[in-house]
Parts: sequence; structure tokens; C-alpha cells
Amino acid sequence: MTDDHEAVRDLLVARSFGALDPADEQTVRTHLAGCAGCAAQAARLREAVRLLDGPPLNAPAQPADSALSLALRTRPAAARAAGHAAPYAAAVAGLKALLPELEGRWSTPVVHDWDAHATVAHLLAADEHLAGRLGIAPRVPPSRIEEGTPWEEAWNRRTADVIAHEHGRTPQETAADWAAQADALLATDEARDAELAARAVTLMGMRLPVADHFLVRAFEAWVHTDDIGRAIGLAVPPPPQEHLGQLVRLAVRVLSLSLGPAAPPVLFSVTGGAEWVLGSDAEPVRAELILDPVDFCLLVGGRYAPEAVPRRTTGDAAAVRNVLERAASLSWL
Amino acid sequence: MNHWRGPAEDARKGTRGGGAVKSTGNTSVELPADAELHRRLVYGDESALAEAYTAYGGLVRRVALRVTRSPAAAEDVAQEVFAQLWSRPYAFDARRGTLRTWLSMLSHRRAVDWVRSEARHRRDARADDSALHAIPDAGPGPDETVVDRERSLLLHSALAELPQQQREVVHLAYFAGRTYRQAAVELGIPEGTAKTRLRTALRTLAETLADPPDPALERGA
Repeated sequence: MTDDHEAVRDLLVARSFGALDPADEQTVRTHLAGCAGCAAQAARLREAVRLLDGPPLNAPAQPADSALSLALRTRPAAARAAGHAAPYAAAVAGLKALLPELEGRWSTPVVHDWDAHATVAHLLAADEHLAGRLGIAPRVPPSRIEEGTPWEEAWNRRTADVIAHEHGRTPQETAADWAAQADALLATDEARDAELAARAVTLMGMRLPVADHFLVRAFEAWVHTDDIGRAIGLAVPPPPQEHLGQLVRLAVRVLSLSLGPAAPPVLFSVTGGAEWVLGSDAEPVRAELILDPVDFCLLVGGRYAPEAVPRRTTGDAAAVRNVLERAASLSWL
Repeated sequence: MNHWRGPAEDARKGTRGGGAVKSTGNTSVELPADAELHRRLVYGDESALAEAYTAYGGLVRRVALRVTRSPAAAEDVAQEVFAQLWSRPYAFDARRGTLRTWLSMLSHRRAVDWVRSEARHRRDARADDSALHAIPDAGPGPDETVVDRERSLLLHSALAELPQQQREVVHLAYFAGRTYRQAAVELGIPEGTAKTRLRTALRTLAETLADPPDPALERGA
């Protein structure tokens, strides 16, 4: 009987919150019927919880568009764009949403020797190359970079110049310029029309359709948003599945070109996704390599050392290492 | 005598899973869906916001109504809660809890703030120290005494101040209509721990009533 009391008293609190399942409820009810002490305690507990109660919700819910109008005024949805630019639109929305979390933390070290302010300034510089090709004027005075400078050097110098320029302004001004340039990119005809985006242009040493350059922009915006999130202790989720698939396919194409047709063939796949043979098409493949799609992107983005990326492999370790090292070497971020 | 069952019944209406929730016992299947919904919110997908409102709007409004007693205020609180979810999506971390619990706690906190600021506002405006009586459309209903109303606000204020681990269980059990067993599954804790947290929470709430700080609504103001 003592055990009964203990067991029942343990359930009375849950019962007062209405949190018993039918079997427990029956046990308690049977006990209370014959136990005045527990019944009195049950009544006291019920009374306390009763005070939390309110009127029933009778009013019909506001329609979602009026209930959510404040939300959408506070933050606009991602810009509408054609499929090739949708990942960039989403990545831009994801970074914009992170900016308010940076208030008071703009000088947090993020990556390389950049703080959060410099990281956003870098994106302002990095997006500028595609923006320029699409007729959008630069927001930072041009750098003096001689014709014929290799693209990597030109790219790095431009970033350094823009960061130096932006450090003379407030982080909010830099972020506003980055956001305005991103919005301008997403408002171009090339962002909305796949046919116009099929035109190939050379940027960062890669001759690719404008559509793919939009994907490269998405890739970079997301990886740096992730960098900033890590720096300030906020989890940045990976891009939506469909966008992640687009980024993976682009990265595989670039990796495949970079490996060339003579590399030892490796069957590569991402978890839950497609598979590709990288390198030579000689049969049989020398090895298999499976990576998580996010890890693969982070490897290509230089956020994993080739030996550190989580993977599943079979076969020739040297062939696998060749692929991983080449993937990591693609990073320009 | 069955009054206490009322809110729990009410809480189950309009919640995803509906009236069957208490008997299915399986709430953990919704957890991956949270992460996916959150991912779409972060990346500015408007349809994810509409889905969140469809799934949790009823809970958010119900929690706010229980505290404010004002349908109009509950709608305002719900607007603010979903505006915060949408405009500051990184504040929610799917690894640390469910969206249901997070929204419920946010709604409760906002509703308590609304009542406090309303009371303060009325008092400032009228120099009236019985501020509670002056809240239009939020005063005691016909079955409720003024004392009950004041004690209720005290209790809700105390609930809002509970440590998060206790608040989570109370929100799932009381506002979201979960059994303590389901709450334990949803929070990934042993059932005994869920019961203990409920007990500790209710003890704190009961102590608030036994020894009310005075004046009640100035706390945290």
C-alpha cells in the first residue's frame, strides 16, 4: 500500500497538468477512490494548475496571410529567381537573416585573418566580378590591377582592397552594400531567364555559363555564412536539398575537369545521391569513394583537409587520395 | 470537478496529430521535419513560414490567450512570435529542442510581457493601482474572481521564470497536450526525469502562490 501511495503521488503532478495516458489515469483513479489523503493532495494540485487555465480558443484563426503580414514586413522572402539562380537567392536570404545576430560581434574572427566585417566585405568583392559582367556598377572604387594579372592574384588583390576600403566604413554600411549588390544580381534578366544565363563567360579562370557562375556565388555565400555562424556559435543549416544537389553537381563537373581524363578512375557518390566515375573511363574503377554531400561541398570549399573529411572508401587508397586532394585544391574561398 | 481536463482537451484540438496524439505515443517522428522546416525558414522560403503557422499557429494563439485572456492580444502575440521565427530564424536550433516547444515558450514569454506592459501602461495612464481591473477584454470572466485573475498572472509570470528544462516539460504536458511519457520521448529524457521536472516546476509555482511578492506585476518590470 505504501508503494502504491508513492507511485500514485508521483503521478498526481502529471495528472494535474493533464499529462497522463489512459492506463496511468485508471491506476490513479482507482487509488484516489479509496484514499482520502491522496485525493486531498490531488485537489490541491488541480487548484494550482486551474489558475493557469484560460478561456477556450473560440475565435477562428486569422487567415495565414494576415497573421503573417508582420513577419513578411520584417523580413522579405528570398528573391524569386529561375532554377539556376534560386540557390543564390536562398543563400543571400540566409546571410541577410544572420546579419542581425552580428550586432556587437562584427569584430569576431571568422576565417583567414578576416573578422565578420571583412568576411562580408570579401563577399562584396567576390560577387562584384559576376555583377560587372551583368552590367552592374561596382560599389567600391576600382582597384589598380594591371591587365594580364593572373586571376587568383587579381581576385585576392581586389578582396584586400575592398576589405581595406570597407574597414573605413561601418559593418552595417558594408552589409547594406553587399545586400544591394546581391539584390541587383538577382534582379538581372540573367537571374530570371535560363536561356540568357546559358551564355558562357570566364570568371575566376573558369569559362562557364552564367547560370553556373550563379551557382558558384551561391556556394561561396553559403560557405561564408557557415563560417560566420561557426564563429558566433550559431548553427547554419546546409542549403535546401535541391540546391545542395545543384552545388554538388557543379562541384563534380569542376572536379572532373580538373582531374582530367588520365587520372585513375574512381567511382564517386554522395550519400543518398547520384554517382559519377571520375578520371579515366578505363574499366574497372580502382576505388570507390562516398561522401556526405555537405562534407563534399565543404571539402571543395576548403573547409576540410583531404585527410580529415569523413568518408567511406573501398579499393586503391592512392586513387582515393588523388581525388580528395584535387577536390581540396579547388578551393578559392 | 473535471474542469482540469478542459484545457488539455482544448490543447489537443488544432495541434498536428489532433486528438489522437495522446494515444499514439510517438512524437519523435516529427523531429527531422523540424530541422527541414527550419532550413527552409533560414533560406527565406515563404511557404515554410505558412507551414509553421498551420502546424503551430493554434498552439501559439492558445498559449497567448491563456495568459492574456484577450483574443485580440493573443492574435498580436502570435503575429510577433511568427515574425520573430521568420526574421531571426537562427535563434532556433533544431539540435536543442523542438520547434513546438520553442514556439510555445516564446509565445508564453511574449504574452506575459504583454500583460506586464499593459498593466504598467494602464497604471501610468490612470495612476490607478488596480491596473489589472482596467485591462479591457482581459479582465476576469464571469466565473473568475479578481483574486483568481491576479493569482493566475502571478503563476504565469513564475512559469515564465522557470529554468528552461522545467519549462519545456510543462509546455509539452500542459499547453501542447502531451502525456509526460510523450514529453519524455520528445525531449529525449527518461520518463522519471520528466515527472520529476513537472513536480519541481509545480512546487515552485505553488510556492509563488503561497507567498506572493508584492506588487505582483512589477516583477521584472
